[in-house]
Amino acid sequence: MSSTATAVSDPSRRKKSRPRRRELREVTLLVAIFAVVLGVGVLRPSFMSFSNIEFMVLSSVVLGLVGISQTFVIITRGIDLSVSAVLGLSAMVFGLLSTTSSMPLWQALPLCLAMGAVLGCFNGFLVAWLKIPPIIATLGTYSLYGGLTFIYSNGLQVDQVSPNFAAFGNDNLIPGLPVPTPVLALAAVAAAAWFVLNHMKFGRNILAIGNNAAAAYNAGISVRRTLLAVYTISGALAAFAGLVFVAYTGSATATTGTGDHVELQSIAIALIGGTAIAGGRGNLAGTVIGSVFLSVVITALVFLQVPAIWYSAGEGLMILAAVTLGARRSVNP
Amino acid sequence: MKSLIKMLLVSASLGAMATAAHAQTSIDTSKTIKVAMVPKLIGLSVFKANEQGAIEAAKSLNINFLYTGPVTASAQGQVDIINSLVARKFDAITVTSNNPTELAPSLKRAMAQGIAVVSYDSDVSPDARDFFIQNTAYPAMGKALVDSVEAYAGPNAQVAILSSTPDAAIQNAWLGAVKTYMAATYPNMKIVTTQYGQSSPSLSLSAGLNILHAYPQVTAIIAPDGAAEVGAAAAIEKLGLQGKVFATGASDPNSIRQYVKDGVIKASPLWDEVGEGKLVMYVARLAANHALKSDDTFTVPGLGTYTVNNKVIIFSKPLVFTAENIDKYNF
Amino acid sequence: MRYLFPSQPWDRALVAILVALFSGFCILTPGFYNGFHGTLAITEEFLPFGFVALGLSVVILTGGIDLSVGSISGLAAVIMAILIKSYGLNTWLAVLVAVGAGGGLGWLNGQIITRLRVEPLIATLSTNFIYSSIAIALAGASPPYGFGHAFGELGTGAIAGWVPVQLVIFIVLAIGFSVLITRTGYGRRLVMIGYNRDAAHYAGVSVASVERRAYCISGVMAAFAGIVLASYYDAVRADMGDILLLTSITMVVLGGISIFGGEGGILGVTLAVMILGVLRQGMLIAGFSDMVTTMLIGAILLSSIAIKNLFSSRGFDFGSIIRRLSFLRPPERMTSRS
Repeated sequence: MSSTATAVSDPSRRKKSRPRRRELREVTLLVAIFAVVLGVGVLRPSFMSFSNIEFMVLSSVVLGLVGISQTFVIITRGIDLSVSAVLGLSAMVFGLLSTTSSMPLWQALPLCLAMGAVLGCFNGFLVAWLKIPPIIATLGTYSLYGGLTFIYSNGLQVDQVSPNFAAFGNDNLIPGLPVPTPVLALAAVAAAAWFVLNHMKFGRNILAIGNNAAAAYNAGISVRRTLLAVYTISGALAAFAGLVFVAYTGSATATTGTGDHVELQSIAIALIGGTAIAGGRGNLAGTVIGSVFLSVVITALVFLQVPAIWYSAGEGLMILAAVTLGARRSVNP
Repeated sequence: MKSLIKMLLVSASLGAMATAAHAQTSIDTSKTIKVAMVPKLIGLSVFKANEQGAIEAAKSLNINFLYTGPVTASAQGQVDIINSLVARKFDAITVTSNNPTELAPSLKRAMAQGIAVVSYDSDVSPDARDFFIQNTAYPAMGKALVDSVEAYAGPNAQVAILSSTPDAAIQNAWLGAVKTYMAATYPNMKIVTTQYGQSSPSLSLSAGLNILHAYPQVTAIIAPDGAAEVGAAAAIEKLGLQGKVFATGASDPNSIRQYVKDGVIKASPLWDEVGEGKLVMYVARLAANHALKSDDTFTVPGLGTYTVNNKVIIFSKPLVFTAENIDKYNF
Repeated sequence: MRYLFPSQPWDRALVAILVALFSGFCILTPGFYNGFHGTLAITEEFLPFGFVALGLSVVILTGGIDLSVGSISGLAAVIMAILIKSYGLNTWLAVLVAVGAGGGLGWLNGQIITRLRVEPLIATLSTNFIYSSIAIALAGASPPYGFGHAFGELGTGAIAGWVPVQLVIFIVLAIGFSVLITRTGYGRRLVMIGYNRDAAHYAGVSVASVERRAYCISGVMAAFAGIVLASYYDAVRADMGDILLLTSITMVVLGGISIFGGEGGILGVTLAVMILGVLRQGMLIAGFSDMVTTMLIGAILLSSIAIKNLFSSRGFDFGSIIRRLSFLRPPERMTSRS
């Protein structure tokens, strides 16, 4: 939140280092992933089996989706802590609807995106119109949306989902292509997000606001509407992630999302991926690779028979390593 | 055996005749009392099943019933709620604890104010409650868990454990019993790894998949936690290992029904959570009436006769769900 | 005498809210007022959050954040318990060592942030994972409990049977922190860094060293909160600090400290600690469920910050309300700090 503040105040220096740093982070992460896969694969050949690699990629999809939405928000110098609550609410609502009202997937999908968009839009309103700092606004809605999940579930939990949900979460969309649907969905979302960020006016506006909101405003960018749109997208993506979650795991409880601290994990992968918490710079490819990286690290610890209590320490060390090794040192504090 | 039954019958009838204290008609329900049930957290269906039974029993026992719990499975949340129940002058508090020791001080304060404290499911420190209703005896549960996989994976099975957290009291008690029974009865059975799913569906599923990938020799997963058993079963099904790897655990029938029918879970022990909820209310009523001694017997209509042994009441033998009987239970 | 009365409008508003809440609960909620000591003893339920909030205030004033407070307090409490139970160390010596360990962990956070130049958020998130693993490993399958009556006084005792020990310690610490921030050179440097890092740097302030000490302070306070929790529960658990983080951040921000740093004071935080604590306990006693209480506190956080923003830098006159509520007006400044 602070150590790159100097960089923000000195745009010329940051501009110079920007492209190089981005590439470095992605390369670092990819090298790290290959190193881990090869290293562990030599010791435990089954680590490199297709089934295990598919699992590692598949289990990173939900986090990857939330990470993309988090990346957008962080670029605007914001943060969205409510993603985990939105994810949990969506998983609970559509998981229950799929079983109790046997809602088909094609109905659930647009409803889910709409619900997420409304929740995200409220965050955007709090941030852009009421000027509540994003961390506070989304901390507040985190409790609110989390409470809604409890109210909606009324003590029930999702124990199984209908076959068309389960197929969406696990099967391959295109026969013959051994890639599960969620992975394709993540790829599609990531590609769309990349296009929006790098090739559309809206994306440039987001970057401009993150660099300097006042300047962006003076340049004629509607800061409020852009922020509103960013938080709306974030909510919609988080809700979509919830749908994928419940389709993939087939179960959800009222603490899904918030209990797993998806919000902190998603911030972690965005930052690992090379997005700056001070805003103005985002790396979507880095985010997606970052989510795979986390999943690979955890699985590797299991294969190496590290006692389970040390997994989170391993995760923490790997995050630190990824963030420090790829970073360029700046001159000032 | 016969003489034991005879003795029980005699003592029951004697008790009924002499003191008329513990038979069905003898529970004093003249005064309405306020009883709270505090689960580990609200929003889990096993605890909801307890509530269902408790509500039924509360009606006949003239109990003003409240089901309230924290939104996260934390001892702090439970302590806050217990303190508020004390301030609201409840007559009895029933609780299944997230942590036996952390809850003790506030429960002791409740007892000091004359509130009856009954723990069920997961116990608290013995000096911080009047009675404890144990779901099922720990050795019996350990045996049931092992037998549920041994029958299918064989006595030489390589077993993986998927628990909730490293310091979960009841899971550790069961796993201790599992190890003891395993060592004594199936010395060739081996526990190859212990993983934790933090009672989260997603983490349990990941842990289950990780076990199956990293330890291909595993043929049985013992997952004595609601979310963990579902995660283990889902992992087996995702990798198409039905019939090769067998899961068991302690989950409510609704959440494992599909896996039991698919044959991923052949047998899974638990107990009748609805019935347990009823028993909790009976014990709470008796404790609030000061009508139960630390070694005693009493009868609950529809459930049977229970023995109190040093303030501990064992609810039932493990109830093993199989494809044949699971549809008889809905909770 | 002047310092006894809050001078900032926000602090005054908080005092009014606290008084209204407290008297409201006393009058309307049977069981809330429970004798002088009984009522004050309610503070024992939430002051551990307050200790964390004090330490966190210092970090947030610099514009940083410390997400590792929860795991530091769990780890410190576990260290203390093991020193007492397994090594037979004197209880109070063990407390000192544990608080020192908390300082060390916070210092390590500071080192990672300033030497490795990692964002505070990601640095403390990572160390949060690491510290909690260590705490779980140390605590083992059945974490220690039962530390004796004398130690229990820290969390549940009352001085002369009247005022809870925790409350006395909290007030003393709050005054200490207030003096630290407003009356010492270190405090001024702290606020200056949060207000404008570059200016502080060019003014010759050793930003890194001030920051390192801030994280050290946060670690000490988190560890102390863990010790108090251990005393209150007479037990430790590796994850018992997890619940502290979000509520403590809420307290700091509701207290008027800007999440971007450089603005706000300890008095507000102290009041916010009391408000949120009394509100939560009062609502639970009034019979609201934990879920409703949690949601309402979220809603209060949002509306209070929104109101504060709407009225800040202007008076409470009618015209400003109209102006502030007309959302079509262009913004004067966005949330940017530069």
